[in-house]
Amino acid sequence: MRIALIALLLAACSPTVQVQAPDKPIVIDLNVKIEHEIRVKVDKDLDKSVFAKDSPLF
Amino acid sequence: MLRKAILITALTLLPLQAFALSLEEAKSKGWVGERMDGYLGPVTETTEVVALVKDINNQRRAEYQRIASGNGQPVDTIQKLAAQKAYEKTPSGFYIQSPQGGWVKK
Repeated sequence: MRIALIALLLAACSPTVQVQAPDKPIVIDLNVKIEHEIRVKVDKDLDKSVFAKDSPLF
Repeated sequence: MLRKAILITALTLLPLQAFALSLEEAKSKGWVGERMDGYLGPVTETTEVVALVKDINNQRRAEYQRIASGNGQPVDTIQKLAAQKAYEKTPSGFYIQSPQGGWVKK
C-alpha cells in the first residue's frame, strides 16, 4: 500500500520534458534590387569596413 | 594654489577613452541592438548609450555613403545589405530588431 502511494506521488512529481523547436530566424524583408556582381562588390566593401574583423563600428 | 592648478590640468588631459563606453561592452551587456535599417539602436536609453549609438551611427553612415557612391548605388541599398549582414553576424543572445520593431535576442 505504501509503495503504491509512493509510486503515485513520484508519478505526480515527474517533470514533463518539452522539446522546443528553434524559432525561425528573423529575416528582414529587404526588397533590394541589385545586380549580382555589384552585390558581391558591396558585400566585400562592407566586410572591409564596418564589418571588418576588429571594426569598432560593429 | 599651484597644486590645484596641476590637478585640474592633469584631469582635463586624461584620455577620454579611459571612461568612454565601448560598443563591445554595450553589446555584451545588452544595452544596444542592431536595427533593420543597418544602424544601431539603444536598448537601454542612458545618456552614455545614446551618445555611443549616435557616434557609431554617424561613422557607419559615412561608410555606407562612401560604399554607395563607390558602387553607384543608393545609400538605402547599402544600408539594407548592411542590416542583413549585421543580423547574420550578430551572435546569439545579442539584440536585434524584430519585424514588428521591438528588441529580441537572436
